[in-house]
Amino acid sequence: MEVLALVKLALDTGQLRMNESKVDIDATPLKISDIDRSAVEEAVRIKEKVGGRARVIAVLKYGPLPKRQQEAESLLREALAMGADEAYLIVDNALVNSDQLLTAKAIAATVKKLGNYDLIIAGEATIDGYTSQVGSRVAAELGIPVISFVRELRVEGNKVTAKRDLEDAIQTVEAQLPALVTVTREINVPRIPPLLQIRAAMKKPINKLSLADLGISMKSLAEIVNIAPIQVKRKGVIIKDGTVDEKVDKLTQALIQEGLITPR
Amino acid sequence: MNMTKVLVIGSINDTGLIGLAQKVGNPEIHYLVLGTGDTSQLGKYGVTKAYLLTAQVDETSFAETLIGVINSNNYSVVIAPASKFFKTAIPISAQKLLAPVIVDVLDLKQSDSAFEVTYNGVGNRAQVTVKVSDKVFLIAPPARFKPSEKATTVSTESLQPKVVTGVKVVSTEEKPKGKVRIEDAELIVSVGRGFKKQEDLKLAFELAEVLGAEVGCSRPIAADLKWLSEDHWVGLSGHKVRPKLYMAIGISGQPQHLAGMMEAKTVVVINSDPNAPFFKNCDYGVVEDLYKFVPALTKKLREILKK
Repeated sequence: MEVLALVKLALDTGQLRMNESKVDIDATPLKISDIDRSAVEEAVRIKEKVGGRARVIAVLKYGPLPKRQQEAESLLREALAMGADEAYLIVDNALVNSDQLLTAKAIAATVKKLGNYDLIIAGEATIDGYTSQVGSRVAAELGIPVISFVRELRVEGNKVTAKRDLEDAIQTVEAQLPALVTVTREINVPRIPPLLQIRAAMKKPINKLSLADLGISMKSLAEIVNIAPIQVKRKGVIIKDGTVDEKVDKLTQALIQEGLITPR
Repeated sequence: MNMTKVLVIGSINDTGLIGLAQKVGNPEIHYLVLGTGDTSQLGKYGVTKAYLLTAQVDETSFAETLIGVINSNNYSVVIAPASKFFKTAIPISAQKLLAPVIVDVLDLKQSDSAFEVTYNGVGNRAQVTVKVSDKVFLIAPPARFKPSEKATTVSTESLQPKVVTGVKVVSTEEKPKGKVRIEDAELIVSVGRGFKKQEDLKLAFELAEVLGAEVGCSRPIAADLKWLSEDHWVGLSGHKVRPKLYMAIGISGQPQHLAGMMEAKTVVVINSDPNAPFFKNCDYGVVEDLYKFVPALTKKLREILKK
């Protein structure tokens, strides 16, 4: 089985560098998007069960590129340490801050370049963009079925069966391979690789591709004109000393002062 | 200014998105109704044409059907409600029509043939504005917008779906429906993994009752453990809330959860772990075992509020 996992090297929104007027994207560290860890885990589990290969594909969406490339490679080593065999990193200036149309074109072109594949696994959304677009777009580009928001996945022969987690229902669906699924975090608990695997990952290949390598010459159709931070100022009063009752008194006093409760 | 053709998609009750369509300079608004309904009522908001798609279709079939509609009438802007169905179907159509999709849209301004669209981005920590030209797809929650009234007559056309085989639905199991509308709650007591057993949630429910609050929860409580139905779920994948008081009990404060309750006015955090990230994002943080603190707080509030 040839399984591909799509991995976003996402902005670590928990460590976002921002002040009142500016979000400093360039200075914010990247991390593997949380849900994409589950995508990698699922790809590796399928490989371990039925044999074959698990490879990961990532598009670098944030600049400055010279600095980010190194960051991207060390993040991809994490996916390789989890058990992926090989990584493909698409790096091109035209992809920095580009729209999902171009991202999906680049991923689909990479998939085609790799040749045979059976299953593509992506996260339901990424922690920074959170648009849930790229999986469906890649499937459309490749002309294969897409099954989104999957919390249980079974691969048998050339058929995939999945439980989809929708707003009002759990839907069980099946499709012939090749297909693309997007998974939710509930599908598995991603493994933490042991040191031995981390060291072994250093020897696994990370292949770099540019848009020219993929034969793509189009530009992003959406151009970012402004990013205005949503800044919330919190008081940060920490109540940690005293007995339980003293802490209760301090908090209730505060709630009264804030006008949230009115003594009767 | 020339008329700009806008297509709004939704059930007959999702008309809020017409309010977003009306932000387009000089819009000619058409509406694609999924399901059944009296399309003449759309005329109240200036909709001149309605498509009626009564057949139930999967996302890929809907995407292909939509491409047919868009190609036949050359819409510049297509607007759909934020749901998992449309978050799957709309990108398929957009990829094939070579168009961007902007998700979680807040506002739109038109200048000539370009649109400036503002949306919640960067993990809901920033409002991002992008410039896009004809054509563009927008996704937003219908309740965010309110259409103004402008009476017109509506012509209605029935749509035959273009059915694509690929994904076969084997079975559908309805989820239990709750009655909570956490998005509208003024006071929220929210629970997380700090609670060790489902029965223990009663501590939070008792506190919520005294306060007159709704009960919210973090992702694992709803999605993983299923201790509460998903209408309680606060976060990027769940519901975004904006109460006067958000009291987070036993929730560590992952960025995805914080993004869902960022607009709360006052945030109280109760956690036994002084290093929980949530303490960096609170107005009042109590470092204490919730099993000791919550009952004591409930008792005290009962005295103060004479309940």
